[in-house]
Amino acid sequence: MIIAGIDIGNASTETALARVTDGTPEFLASGIVGTTGIKGTRQNIHGVFASLKQALDKVNLTVEDVDLVRLNEAAPVIGDVAMETITETIITESTMIGHNPSTPGGLGTGVGKTASIRDLKKANKGDSVIVIIPREIDFENSSQMINEADARGVYVNGAIVQRDDGVLINNRLNNKIPIVDEVALIEKVPMGMRAAVEVAEPGQVIDQLSNPYGIATVFDLTSDETKQVVPVSRALIGNRSAVVIKTPAGDVKERKIPAGKIIVEGEHKKAEINVDDGAEAIMEAIRSVAPVLDVTGEPGTNAGGMLEKVRQVMSNLTNQSPKNIKIQDLLAVDTFVPQKVRGGIADEFSMENAVGIAAMVKADKLQMSMIAEELEKELKVKVEVGGVEADMAIRGALTTPGSNKPMAIIDMGAGSTDAAIINRAGKIHSIHLAGAGNMVTMLIGSELGFDDMGLPEDIKKYPLAKVESMFHIRHEDGTVQFFDEPLDPRVFARVVILTPNGMVPIPGNYPMERIKQVRQDAKKKVFVVNAIRALERVSPTGNVRDMEFVTMVGGSALDFEIPQMITDALSRYSIVAGRANIRASEGPRNAVATGLVLAYCEGE
Amino acid sequence: MNVSFDAPKPEIKIFYGKNSVPKDIVGQVTLGIEEEGLPFSVEEKESSDALHLAYKAAEASHLGVGIGIGENVTLHFIKFKEDEPLFSIKSENNEENLRNMGANAARLVKRMPFKDVGEQA
Repeated sequence: MIIAGIDIGNASTETALARVTDGTPEFLASGIVGTTGIKGTRQNIHGVFASLKQALDKVNLTVEDVDLVRLNEAAPVIGDVAMETITETIITESTMIGHNPSTPGGLGTGVGKTASIRDLKKANKGDSVIVIIPREIDFENSSQMINEADARGVYVNGAIVQRDDGVLINNRLNNKIPIVDEVALIEKVPMGMRAAVEVAEPGQVIDQLSNPYGIATVFDLTSDETKQVVPVSRALIGNRSAVVIKTPAGDVKERKIPAGKIIVEGEHKKAEINVDDGAEAIMEAIRSVAPVLDVTGEPGTNAGGMLEKVRQVMSNLTNQSPKNIKIQDLLAVDTFVPQKVRGGIADEFSMENAVGIAAMVKADKLQMSMIAEELEKELKVKVEVGGVEADMAIRGALTTPGSNKPMAIIDMGAGSTDAAIINRAGKIHSIHLAGAGNMVTMLIGSELGFDDMGLPEDIKKYPLAKVESMFHIRHEDGTVQFFDEPLDPRVFARVVILTPNGMVPIPGNYPMERIKQVRQDAKKKVFVVNAIRALERVSPTGNVRDMEFVTMVGGSALDFEIPQMITDALSRYSIVAGRANIRASEGPRNAVATGLVLAYCEGE
Repeated sequence: MNVSFDAPKPEIKIFYGKNSVPKDIVGQVTLGIEEEGLPFSVEEKESSDALHLAYKAAEASHLGVGIGIGENVTLHFIKFKEDEPLFSIKSENNEENLRNMGANAARLVKRMPFKDVGEQA
């Protein structure tokens, strides 16, 4: 008889087609299509049909030839992610400009009182001035005006320019001064205030204004005032040019937002942790309290808001009241988020501390039996719901050459990381953890400051390259690739993502190394941490070292670097860990579908 | 092979049509190059075919980067096919686009991402 095992996953619907004779399966073909609709809903049927058809077409069979279809009983878990910053930089009264126009003018540090270029005529001999040049005054007029003032004995010590013509102005001056250009919100610069402008040599970074004592020297600050400018100098580190303007009552604050407490309720214990203490403290609490019954946040704080948001999303998805949603696992990760500095003038960003969380919620059983009934009517073939998803996955995974019982699998999906272990006797134990592919995407997006989630998703999935000329790129491992035709000018000199649909340029000035670092860190923070957490939970002794074989299945196991990261991390525990190769031909795909067929043959 | 011991200066060449091009268009383009800090030289030519001028300028430039100015402002690179320039925009254009053409010529040499030059001619 012909049997089809069909696995409806969050992202893809997979089919394993086999001919079974006397309880021995002979696998004929596999199928894979994107899941239609949300897993566990009626919309899945289209995907099931397409996936089955794909497998049948490969071996010239039709639906009528199929004797039995077996569906998985999906694990009823869903996950969501959220992020909250816990620090914020606000500039009040005093202000700064710290940005990297590609071509600032001049060199050195200049100090003086800010004055509009239109008022330069009124300046007296001996005055020290920093001129402000708005868009309307072009380089020719402004350089002429500065030269005139200079000739009268006015010390023009620096300039702040709105347009990108710092070099043009500088080239026309008799006495060279530091010039910061491309300052978008120039009208926000206060007049008649003491200001310092610094421009470093090409290839160098500023050193006076990025040093708190340097600012203190320029503005004659007391020791108390110097303490207050630390956030300013911190924000200016690494820039090639900067401006600091001091107003009489000025100060800059780095405010700590009260992030609030997270309350973890376990079966026997309860723990309260301040989110300020960071991700590690939160994870330690989760470990000590396990098994977790629910996680809540202190009402009226960021922590409370963050967890309530997750609860709300879950309740919408499952049509349950938010009160009944119990968060049963949490993965917290420390991260940095570039946040616009409030009070900045050239759209400065400051890296603020943040905590990202992924939460996992057990839902009602998904409606697989309903889908089975519908499908039976449409296909006119017997459809049954097979065993638990994890059991099926492990059966499938065991077809990987070189694997053996006892074995653990780690199924890394988009919403949750699932793990299961089979002992020598064949008994299977499985768990679900919060945090997977979606969290990696969120971390990449937030650390690089991309709001749109499509770009971080691509960064996660595909390798990077730098376009070094119109004809060649350098891959992230250093190899160079040439092209016959010129590349698209839009990707020239940019870091690009090598997607199957071509090169996608990454906006901003991030070096390739930095993006790669963010990507790999995010993957390690989520997948390596979760792999170890999962194995600790399923290990019969609670010790990761007592496992021998671990195989990785699921979509994230297809990633170009996650499996190696986990292999590497687990080899330290002397565990054989690697990507599964289902039936020695399918890679990490098709484990559940294959397991569904095998389970039938074993008489279950 | 021609070996010259006075190595030519590495500069961006700009060729423009003698009778057809207002001076300030050439001026704006050179300002774009100046802001990016690259050397350049400007030459008057009889032809007013921007594409042809650009390619000739690229050939003459030691950096392989040339700009031709006639009806259009065309940016060419010596490694490109003659009829496929990098950018080409109408000469009657706003100041910013003209300056950005100059900046892009410099950026091609400096290997920096291009600025937007508006609609291609």
